[in-house]
Amino acid sequence: MKVANDRSEAPAAAFRARDLSRRYGQKWALAHLDLEAQRGEVLLVAGPNGSGKTTLLRLLAGLLRPTSGELEQFGRKLASDPFGWRRNVSLLSHASYLYEPLTAIETVRLWARLLGRSTAAPDLRARLAEVGLEQDADNLVNGFSAGMQKRLTFARVRLEDSALVLLDEPFAALDTAGQELVTNWIAADRKAGKTVVIASHNLERAARIADHAVLLSRGQKTWQGAARELPNVLARVS
Amino acid sequence: MNSRFLRDHWAGLVAVALLVAGCYIGLFVAPAERHMGQVQRIMYVHVPTAWNALLCFTCAFVAAIGSLWTGRERWDATLVGAAEAGIVLNGLLLVQGSLWGRATWGVWWDWDVRLTTSLILLLLFIGVLSLRSFAAGTERRASLTAVAAIVAYVDVPLVYFCVRWWRSLHQIQSSPATVDPAMVLPLRLNAFGLMFAAVWFIVRRARLELARRRGGETALPERAKMIEVPHA
Amino acid sequence: MSELRSQTLTLLAKDLRLEWRAKARLVAVAVFGLLSLVVFSIAVGPDSKALTAGAAGFLVIALLLSSTLALAESFRIEHERRALEGILLLPVRPGAIFYSKAVANTLSLAMLAPGLSLFGVVLYGVELQPANVVNFFAIWFLAAAGLSAPGTLYAAMTSQLRSRDVLLPLLLFPLVVPVLMASCKALALALTGDPMRQMQSWALLLLCFDLIYWSLGGILFPFVIEEG
Repeated sequence: MKVANDRSEAPAAAFRARDLSRRYGQKWALAHLDLEAQRGEVLLVAGPNGSGKTTLLRLLAGLLRPTSGELEQFGRKLASDPFGWRRNVSLLSHASYLYEPLTAIETVRLWARLLGRSTAAPDLRARLAEVGLEQDADNLVNGFSAGMQKRLTFARVRLEDSALVLLDEPFAALDTAGQELVTNWIAADRKAGKTVVIASHNLERAARIADHAVLLSRGQKTWQGAARELPNVLARVS
Repeated sequence: MNSRFLRDHWAGLVAVALLVAGCYIGLFVAPAERHMGQVQRIMYVHVPTAWNALLCFTCAFVAAIGSLWTGRERWDATLVGAAEAGIVLNGLLLVQGSLWGRATWGVWWDWDVRLTTSLILLLLFIGVLSLRSFAAGTERRASLTAVAAIVAYVDVPLVYFCVRWWRSLHQIQSSPATVDPAMVLPLRLNAFGLMFAAVWFIVRRARLELARRRGGETALPERAKMIEVPHA
Repeated sequence: MSELRSQTLTLLAKDLRLEWRAKARLVAVAVFGLLSLVVFSIAVGPDSKALTAGAAGFLVIALLLSSTLALAESFRIEHERRALEGILLLPVRPGAIFYSKAVANTLSLAMLAPGLSLFGVVLYGVELQPANVVNFFAIWFLAAAGLSAPGTLYAAMTSQLRSRDVLLPLLLFPLVVPVLMASCKALALALTGDPMRQMQSWALLLLCFDLIYWSLGGILFPFVIEEG
């Protein structure tokens, strides 16, 4: 039997949102969201375009401030200095965050230096090998295909090694081998006690690796439950 | 007049009363100045305009710091009101300065320290408000305006000293200490009159800004219903 | 502090590398500066005396005009793939982003000095005394730094707005009036000789402006790059 109000014993959730809302100009991109995820949990955020998935991820990353409501990350509120908050999160965004006139290895070196990781050439090449780009280390990002850019962006998420990993469309633009790679990383992250939040349209693949799922519609939560039930729910909705 | 009207517009009424009295005394009661004659009477509005323009920009600067520090929209609204009031007063100031210059020095414009500084100040704050008009998003607009206002205001003493050195040949204009005591009263009345007018304008403008923002906001939608899924 | 410094240096290396990869743009900015010098001589000339007298002013205005091009460009690549947001997320101190950009901009504006001054010597018939060469370039560097600090801040503020190309000069030109006045006077003294020893005062004024805006930029920059 679980005691409902026993909060002192419970470990701080990776994040916890209470009545979280965010407005862009006239439009409420997210409203009344109550949601939390524990350490070692993989959470799938599903919903059609414009349902608020990206806004949620940007709020969790500390890039946006809530218009109203509360948001905590590992028991801490997003203070006026978002610096400490961002130390704990990695975000794989729609945008690649890449400088196209740099080479792949220069890009990884920049990240490694800013993160205080090893910048020795073999280490950097190992990072690129992990995402399957060892052959392209000295090529400019300019010439990379969308899938290769995505792989390089994943090198950054792997390098950051954060406790809260936010993946916006992690499978898009990747070939089957790449998608398999990402699936394995997510499984490894869960094992390591990290929390992974996935926003994806590739529900088949995502629902297989996620523990829980939440369905958003027009900025609001309309369903929450075990990820394996998501296909049934979606079948009912349509 | 009901109490609501008085509460909203008392500063404006005080301003009108003071300005009427100040201008009457300045035009008809105070003696004409010996060297400059009747033209000197422009000083009764010119000097108060200058003081109050600077006061408005100082108010904008303080509001900008408040806006960045707290993120409250009241500060942002005050900043807009103060910057606009300052721009209007500063525009008037330049017109008065030109008239004065034409009558006393024979030229419309002179690269005098104060005149030049106020021209630059006017351009700086016009820039701040144009930036504001292009910025999208309430919070973003507020922080951009506040940063631009701080950057602009800090420049004022630098411009002042620079122009002073630049024009080192030119003598500094008369200061209030050299003014005849009989001329002090209209100067004071107008100075306070304009100050109340500025306060009135800033408060009205700030309220308008807040009301506009309220009008443009959409309310938080009702909570959506959760989808019920019967367990298999 | 050391974190800010190391992050600034890392980002500066990245910014300089990006500048170097976009050499064609740097050359275009320099050519634009030279072109404006030619245009001034058409406006004022062909009286060579008037040109010589105004040479310092023309050089400063050429620097100012080139700076708006260089500054506006410096944030374009940061928004192309939202790289700036990625840098902020790493996380990097916003101050480090400001200082690296401002230093990179200062360096690229300072690099215009030899070309523009050589062109000025040829076009306006001024003579740069060997004794004054160091002073001339020091003043130029201070002026470039004075344009870069507020310019970088404003470029970051306007880089995502419509009409950014109009807004940047609209904001920057009145603000840098002290820089323009001080560097015009000081460069003129460097070109024509400085019997009254006034150059140092003007250099000091430039230095004050630089110190104020380099500090203010670092403080205010976090407020302009956060989306909120």
